[in-house]
Order: sequence, then structure tokens, then C-alpha cells
Amino acid sequence: MSSTRNVVKTEKNQELGHYSDPPLLVLASLANGPKHGHAMIEDIERLCGTHLGPGSLYGAIARLEQQSWIEPLPPEERRWPYRITAEGLRVLRAKLTTLHRFAEAGLQRLEPS
Amino acid sequence: MNPKLARLLTRLYPRPWRERYGAEFEALLLESRGGLGMAANVVRAAIYERISPTQGGKMNQDPRSFGSLSRQASAFLPLAMSLTALAVVLGHIAIYGAAREADEGAAAHIWQLLMAGQLPVVAFFAIKWLPRAPKAALGVLALQAGAVLVSMAPVFYFNL
Repeated sequence: MSSTRNVVKTEKNQELGHYSDPPLLVLASLANGPKHGHAMIEDIERLCGTHLGPGSLYGAIARLEQQSWIEPLPPEERRWPYRITAEGLRVLRAKLTTLHRFAEAGLQRLEPS
Repeated sequence: MNPKLARLLTRLYPRPWRERYGAEFEALLLESRGGLGMAANVVRAAIYERISPTQGGKMNQDPRSFGSLSRQASAFLPLAMSLTALAVVLGHIAIYGAAREADEGAAAHIWQLLMAGQLPVVAFFAIKWLPRAPKAALGVLALQAGAVLVSMAPVFYFNL
């Protein structure tokens, strides 16, 4: 199988590589400390280039909170921060480990034999 | 984003969702730059929320509620200090009796430190939370005042 490297330009690659699993992105963003909505959107964009819309963000927040994987902190002025729970950290670690294994195996298949 | 548009977009969500997330969601929209793509994202998410609503008790949890506020360190620390002061007084009475002593012992000093030490913590709590959540903060302050009175009661009752 031939290598797919250099088939598309780097910028195009980045665009194609956008990852969009809002709950996982929110968990990953909160892994290094509590954040409010706007800070999460900016952090996720820095983390993987994905721009989450407010609707997607709060859809994920509501469901993660329902599962007790994140919890709200008292509001700071007009901002409502959230933090990841111990259970949320466990879930994030498990999901990222699976993704890591999957990515490694997938990339290996793309290498020229 | 325009406040009217932010309110309109928030109102697309079902009432239980709005009661839990409405205020913070609207604040986030106001902070955002807006645009057609963002509005479409919100409309899509609101429709999805109406089709498959988020369930669970957390929907009614308000971060400014009494329960949420009472978990703050500045809320429960004064309560713990008052109760410790009460335990110190009662322990002293149980061991040495309720007779007034000429020299203030270690127990009296610990009691005084615990009672005086909580004042800045209570002040911090009041300054931080009274403007943000007046009703819940007053409830916590009343609880703290009650704990102070309870820990002072044996001191005045036995005239220690």
C-alpha cells in the first residue's frame, strides 16, 4: 500500500483532522483545571483546532453533568465554571487510552510496508 | 452578540433546560461574537434538546443554591470552628467542672482563638456571596450565627 503522506497539503490535513466529540473535548479541557464556557471553547480550539459552538458545548456540559463526570462551581460574576470529577477523570483516561491505541494502529497501517 | 438575539436563542430550549442552564448560556452567547454559523449551532442543539431532553436531578441544581453555597470552605469552616469551641468548653466542664477559675486556662484560650479566628472567614464569605446569592448567603450566615450562639451558651450559662 502506498503512503498517503504529502497527498494533501498540511493546512488541508489539519482541517480534515478536526476532531469533534464534544463530551470528550470538554472532559479533556477540564482535565487541567476548572473553566467556564468561553474558556473551554478557546482551550479546545488551542488543543485540537476544533471550534465548538455554544449549543454543542452546552449540550455536552448538560449530559456530562447528568452523568456526574463534571460538576458546576459557584459562579464568578457572569461566568459559570465547571470542574471534572474523579469519575470524569477515570472516564477520560480510559477513552484517551483507547483512542491512543486506535490512532497508533491506524497510523501504522498508513506507513509504507 | 446582541442581547435580544441571545435571549431569543436561549428561549428555543425547553423550560427545564433553561431553568438550569439558561442564565449561563445566555451569558456565554453575549460574550460570543455571534454569526450565522453560531446561531445555526444553537438552533440545532436546541432542537436536539427538545427531541431528546437531558434528564436527571442535576437539571434543577443551582450553583447559587443554599446547598451549593454551604459546601464552600468559607461557609463550613466557621461552623466547624464554633462546634470545636463548643466541644472544648464542654470537655473542660466535664473534666474540671463548671467552677470559674481565676486564671484563664488553655481551654479558654483555645475557645477565644476559635471564636475570634472565624470572624475574618465569616466576613470573607459575606463579602463574596451576599451580592451574588443574597438569599442563600443569608441562610448560611444565619447558620453560622446560630453555631456561634450555641458555642457561647455554656460559657455564659456557667459564667466561665
